[in-house]
Amino acid sequence: MSAELDAAVRHRHAPATALTVAAPPAPVPGSDGGATSQAAGQVAAAVGWASDRGARIAAVAIALAWHCVIGLPAVLANRAELTAAGVVLTAWAVVAVVGVLAGVRLLRQTPLPAWPLAGLLLAVDATVFAAAGERALFTTANWVWGTLGWFFMLALWGRRVRGLIALLAAHSLIALVAVVGYGATTPADLARLAMYVYGTSSLPIAAYVGSAVVAVLARERATTSAATHAMAAERDAAERARRDRRDRLALVGGAAGAVLAELADGRADPTDPLVQRRAVLAAARLRRLIAESDDVPDPLLHELRAAADLAERNGLPIDLVTIGAPPPLPVQVRRQLADPLTATLADALEWARLTVVSGPDEVVVSLVTPDRNGPDATGPPEWDNGSHEGRVDRIYERDGEIRWVQTRWRR
Amino acid sequence: MGADPVAEMSGGRPIGVAIVDDHPVVVDGVRAWLATEPLLTVLATGDDPDEVLRAAPDADVVLLDLRLHGRMALGKLAELSAAGRRVVVYSEHTDPETMLAALDAGAVAFLAKHEGREHCVATVLAAASDRPYVPPALAGAMVGDPRPDRPVLSDKEREALLLWFQSMSKASVARRMRISEHTVKQYVDRARIKYTRAGRPAATKAALLARAIEDGLIRPEEIGIYRSQARYDRPTP
Repeated sequence: MSAELDAAVRHRHAPATALTVAAPPAPVPGSDGGATSQAAGQVAAAVGWASDRGARIAAVAIALAWHCVIGLPAVLANRAELTAAGVVLTAWAVVAVVGVLAGVRLLRQTPLPAWPLAGLLLAVDATVFAAAGERALFTTANWVWGTLGWFFMLALWGRRVRGLIALLAAHSLIALVAVVGYGATTPADLARLAMYVYGTSSLPIAAYVGSAVVAVLARERATTSAATHAMAAERDAAERARRDRRDRLALVGGAAGAVLAELADGRADPTDPLVQRRAVLAAARLRRLIAESDDVPDPLLHELRAAADLAERNGLPIDLVTIGAPPPLPVQVRRQLADPLTATLADALEWARLTVVSGPDEVVVSLVTPDRNGPDATGPPEWDNGSHEGRVDRIYERDGEIRWVQTRWRR
Repeated sequence: MGADPVAEMSGGRPIGVAIVDDHPVVVDGVRAWLATEPLLTVLATGDDPDEVLRAAPDADVVLLDLRLHGRMALGKLAELSAAGRRVVVYSEHTDPETMLAALDAGAVAFLAKHEGREHCVATVLAAASDRPYVPPALAGAMVGDPRPDRPVLSDKEREALLLWFQSMSKASVARRMRISEHTVKQYVDRARIKYTRAGRPAATKAALLARAIEDGLIRPEEIGIYRSQARYDRPTP
């Protein structure tokens, strides 16, 4: 796998991997179809570039090899026949330098601007035709005939084939003007012109179209498979969430049903504080379950729900109210948001209210429990708000009425 | 604000309440809650809004369960509000979208069923005098409103809503924000009044707004902003 494809694949999976720490194989939370297809598009583009790389190397190699192995010796051998040999050689050197530069940039995925480059090549084209002169018109010393088509290809790589055809047409037009200008208009000369034009255009076009088709096919295949994977992951996560909720509903329903049945049978006394407590617990749990509306489990809410479930198993009625869906958050931010609350929750008595209000740029988590007399059993939890993606602030206070922990992340 | 807004509204007679709910046990429960407040008297109950209001045409406040016989009664709510009925919606469906949709349709207040007696009585009393009452669940929905055309709240209003939603104690919010409880309530109520311009116009929204100006909760010049914003609701020529 090439470096860029590798990087793109890492980019696609990095957030999901980070998030799986708390909630196993969860895709990016809150990701909708748009985000999925966007990610799939990135992967596809990377695959396209990767599969294109071989073709790019070949194109650069052909252009430079042709330029050096065929063009240069022909110019040097036929210097005497050229009208202005110095100009032709200089033009050769210019194209050599530009060709190397364009080739390197192309292989590094930062191609030179196409149209200025094409303009320069056409200017060189006209100059060489003029400087070569009539005697060298149809010889290999007029190196632009055979070589320039390959450099056009480098200049326009990755664009539509129309541009290349237009450039080659301009190239042919310059040749035609030169041929007519030098008065080489005998049928034999025109036939030679046609042959040269066909011979020097067909190969670059064929190579160009071939590589483009290969890249498009690879990209399409990658898009399809990435989208399929993303959909499967989302489906799995939704299915897991559904199963999880169903299991808990069975559990909660059982608890609430038992209390109700005992009350109906007269086996439980509604004035009994213990029975009242059981009813309160069952009601709180039912309410939390009803309030869950996310289809794909969000790691932060998952952690908080787990903490709430745990506290409730220890007999604490707890309300968990969530507003909005948290954006994808790094593990560290999530920990900073949740940990101070879970620590205080472990210590809470009577009741607790846990709330999460989320927007795209802010998540505020709060825990309120009745304040008890006496010093804190645990004290305010340890706090460290290092430098991360955005900032997490924490407020901890007791006012005699309530104990209040609030953590707030701002982008 | 008036010392006895309720007496001032109903001219000394008790406030008539109609309860619309399809669960008799809930009707009985709410009736018991309201019975603790001598100013309130339940005039009629039932599971059909039209029948209940035929039985009690003079009801000052209608307590409406949003889900009647398995269907969301948002259309009915809008109809009653447009006709000037003060409807307090109460529901176990406390997802923010539902709450905000109820406000948009013209509900005077939204009450989550689990929010209990105190909030229920306070909401009905406030509604009877066209005054806002924002229980914590509704505050949460307002502060988390993700809609692009949501009313613009000031930082203080947002913070007061958020802390009220989190703590359910205005005293604690006041201590945290270092302001008086009265000011906390003002911030929360101002935010609620700003919502009277969201959604379609309704007689109840106009009444809330008028009363807020009368009480000095918002300044008359702020109405100008509401009017100019309201123009966006109409198609431009």
